[in-house]
Amino acid sequence: MTQVTQEAAAASQPFVMDTVFWTATTIFVLAYAVIVSEKVHKTVVALFGAALMLVLKILEQYEAFHVEELGVDWNVIFLLIGMMTIINLMRPTGFFEYIAIKSAKAGKGDPMRIMTIFALVTAVLSALLDNVTTVLLLAPVTLLIADALEVDPVPFLIVEALASNIGGTATLIGDPPNIMIASKAKLDFMDFIYNLTPVVIVLMVVLLVVVKIVFGKKLKTREELKERIMQMNEKEAIKDPLMLKKSLFVLGLVLVGFVFHGTLHLQPATVALFGAGLLLLLSGTHDPHHYLAEVEWPTIFFFIGLFILVGGVVKVGLIKLMSMKMLDLTQGNLFATSMIVMWFSAIASAIVDNIPYVATMNPLIIDMAKQMWPQEAGLALLRHPDLMPVWWSLALGACLGGNGSPIGASANVIVVGMAERAGKKISFMRFVAYGFPIMLLTVFISMIYVWLRYYVLKF
Amino acid sequence: MKAKDIMEQVKDHLSPDDTIRDAVNKMRVVKRDDGIVGVKGMIVLDREGNLVGMVSVKDILKAIIPFYMTMTELGEFTWEGMLSEMTKKVADKKVEEIMVKDVITVPEDAPLMECADFIVKHNLQRVPVVDREKRVVGIIYVRDLYNAIVKVLLNDKEVENI
Repeated sequence: MTQVTQEAAAASQPFVMDTVFWTATTIFVLAYAVIVSEKVHKTVVALFGAALMLVLKILEQYEAFHVEELGVDWNVIFLLIGMMTIINLMRPTGFFEYIAIKSAKAGKGDPMRIMTIFALVTAVLSALLDNVTTVLLLAPVTLLIADALEVDPVPFLIVEALASNIGGTATLIGDPPNIMIASKAKLDFMDFIYNLTPVVIVLMVVLLVVVKIVFGKKLKTREELKERIMQMNEKEAIKDPLMLKKSLFVLGLVLVGFVFHGTLHLQPATVALFGAGLLLLLSGTHDPHHYLAEVEWPTIFFFIGLFILVGGVVKVGLIKLMSMKMLDLTQGNLFATSMIVMWFSAIASAIVDNIPYVATMNPLIIDMAKQMWPQEAGLALLRHPDLMPVWWSLALGACLGGNGSPIGASANVIVVGMAERAGKKISFMRFVAYGFPIMLLTVFISMIYVWLRYYVLKF
Repeated sequence: MKAKDIMEQVKDHLSPDDTIRDAVNKMRVVKRDDGIVGVKGMIVLDREGNLVGMVSVKDILKAIIPFYMTMTELGEFTWEGMLSEMTKKVADKKVEEIMVKDVITVPEDAPLMECADFIVKHNLQRVPVVDREKRVVGIIYVRDLYNAIVKVLLNDKEVENI
């Protein structure tokens, strides 16, 4: 069956609330509840739930592995694996430490300036790499700089987490929700650049202004401490100059590949895998085991499990039922849909992991679209002009919502963990005190942006 | 010969509630058998006298190095005076937080080969000797085992059956 006829068949497939429906729904709801409770590791829950869907024949293995709208989205999986491998090869060169020390020196040792530059660097790196990697690479240097300047590292760490979540929103590869949305809705890298990057730039400016107002007066250090920063020689961070050149070459190539992947008809995962393969080859390593083992396999398997879990409830019609409820609620008004999706996504993502949330929302939005435009199928349906703002609202809500609480995004979890190890515990409420207002402000600005751009000015 | 025949007496111990400052002081005061230098490691006993951990000078060094430096290569970007700053920062940390908790011990009637094997395999400097009730009765240092070897090689008539 071709993809188009399959989708049409799935759309017209009637469903009944039989035992299979309730079994699948129960597995799905229980799995999500356990994931939220954090009693069992989320990867274990997702994989076991997925296995149940298969063993109970709710989903055939063939469907889970090979049918695009029911099973594992391999484009997401291999894009993540490819990018993680590139970073694993690049990390030992010392490039990220170099950037961080150079940034601190560019700030002339002044804490406020350093915080601003670090926020910008974090945002840019998060847009190009994943947020967790960015924060993991920058946080150790941040703690060192804070010790050198004898200032509290907590504001720096929180601002970096916030900047990372905002920056990650800008591109297709910046944040997992975007990767998932892009793959499902067949959006390319440049679609994200045209539609999300402009508003993210505005959001970053707003963040920096807020940071300046909040911390500007408090962050002070002594002149002799600034000297400590100025005496650091960032060049000493570079451990392997040759490998650094190779890494930058490949990373540049990959970014160019992303920019043109739509025109070249290459999937993002193809570009990332090509980069990973090429850099492995250029590195001349005889021990790829090390670099491949450092891929975050628990995250990868979390995705795999989730895709199958969601596939199960898509097949039995739960998602379609939910999409009908949403249509009832919005009466087919797409502006209202966009706004509801954005705010609901933001709140949901602040409370729960945005990855399972987006994994559920993607098919829901597609089901909704199928009911609104039954005559359309394939790309014409997925990229229906009236549907596009809904996708952007989902991306903005899900990514920016992560700032709302310390558990809203992986970058926040890392930052809170690092601060605790440094003996500076960030309480839940202290993070919320910074993160939640920033979330409200950024989502509010995004709301104005979506409204103005897609419903008033329409470009 | 067995572990109990070459072990040294436990002169003092740390308690989990001691601070790093207390630990450093005790280790400086308590002398090894030669009576010249302080010990370089001590056992940690709880109130009931159970062995709960060990602290060595290396554990104290580790406690002074900020954790973020172990995450990546930042050694080049440290500054003069950083060690003393960090030392002051952690001075009041509890021994409990820095001690090695999974302490490897040997039974008092263990053959010396077992002790030597343990010390090398686990890269130890010292290993506590325990009785049947798992109470610490002594400590064997690398040097004690080495002395046993020295005796075999240089004066083998005196010490048969090691």
